Amino acid sequence: MDEQLLAEAFVEVADTLVDDFDLLEFLHRVTVRCADVLSVSAAGLLLSDQRGALRMIAASSEQTRLLELLEIQTDEGPCPDCFHSGKPVAVPDLSTAGDRWPVFAAQAREIGFASVHAVPMRLRGDVIGALNLFDTRPGNLSPGTLQLGQALAAVATIALMQARAIRHRDTLAEQLQTALNSRIIIEQAKGVIAERRGVDMAASFALLRKNARDHNRRLSDLARAVVEGTEVI
Amino acid sequence: MNEDGVVRIWTEVARESKGESVTLAHVCAAAVTLVGVNGVGVTVRVGSSAWATMHATDETASTLEELQVTVGQGPCVDAFSDGGPVLAADLTAREYQLRWPAFAPGALGAGARAIFAVPLQLGAIRWGAMDLYRSVPGGLDPDRLADALAFAECVNILLLDGAGDSAEPTRQHTDRTAHQAEVHQATGMLVVQLGVSAETAFARLRGYAYAHDRKLGEVARDVVARRLRFDTESPDGGGPP
Repeated sequence: MDEQLLAEAFVEVADTLVDDFDLLEFLHRVTVRCADVLSVSAAGLLLSDQRGALRMIAASSEQTRLLELLEIQTDEGPCPDCFHSGKPVAVPDLSTAGDRWPVFAAQAREIGFASVHAVPMRLRGDVIGALNLFDTRPGNLSPGTLQLGQALAAVATIALMQARAIRHRDTLAEQLQTALNSRIIIEQAKGVIAERRGVDMAASFALLRKNARDHNRRLSDLARAVVEGTEVI
Repeated sequence: MNEDGVVRIWTEVARESKGESVTLAHVCAAAVTLVGVNGVGVTVRVGSSAWATMHATDETASTLEELQVTVGQGPCVDAFSDGGPVLAADLTAREYQLRWPAFAPGALGAGARAIFAVPLQLGAIRWGAMDLYRSVPGGLDPDRLADALAFAECVNILLLDGAGDSAEPTRQHTDRTAHQAEVHQATGMLVVQLGVSAETAFARLRGYAYAHDRKLGEVARDVVARRLRFDTESPDGGGPP
């Protein structure tokens, strides 16, 4: 674990959680930081849709295969297990997980992952989502690394609470739905940009992010404008 | 949502429709029963600034919708513009009196004490909102909120079909691929291929899937992989690249 990276991550958090911050961009950065700081290959965040299932909200890479692997967990995988039990789930060797999650394990291995961990996103007594960590090397994450994973999952939870407070929402339930819908807007915008520019979905997301940064816009606001055709990328 | 929840919702809707084709009235009546509220209203945006009430289950619900349309404020308006549910457990609270000065007193006068609004939306596609009211104060517990969100999804499908697609409304609830990211990505691609709104693009994608008896996610995956385009001349809207 690199302490310099860790320090940078928390400075970024403190700098970002101000009024009018961009929740989706922030959650994306949390996943990127997770992969860096925890030295894993990829990280993803899933949120409760409040109807008993988890939905993907952010990932360290927008590579289609990774997003699919996160999406599979609407049905099965370590994240739903973690979400329902409220406890971390460790799978040091994915080759032994075929009985437990046939679809998830097969796809994870096909992408080249050898191990996976999930830690819950907790808010007081409730679990509102899960942080998913993938690695191409087999083995358990150290207790210290897992604890740090928990801390970063808590940061994502705080961001959701902060966004709720800024929007004067009364409940987290209201904010969760807004966040999940923002993710759908981003997917729609990725499609618009991919078709117009003739690029794949990962490149399309990169273009969307770059434009949002360059023009100081929130990802979801810019994405909506792109889908509605009032802005062209 | 879990399978039981979906089945429960559609069983209640089917009970209300008594074998006829499902309408907004059936869905709203079922929502009154399952969510445990006194009344439900559905109001949609027409054009860039006007609102139209599509259905209200009783006189109070009708008054609540009319009031919001008239004064341009209230939970339905907020749910639409913010993109998330609005859960007002007690309209007498100072918070809501301040938030909706023109709506809250009138709503109380009409007999509503608690009001919950759920947006009718799919990403950037926005129709309006569904309001559910109670004559007594109190919040919406998580299970009831889950039901309300599921009913909003039913209403979305009805509104979408009303916009020109003829696929049967009960079809989507059995299609577990309908929530996949590719479906939304493909919708965005069709916006460009067809030069239409996201709503029309999504309707075309669904229409194609059902006409070919395929899952929405499968068709979407073909679009994203550029194996299927919709801008070629073809009677059913899709064609080979």
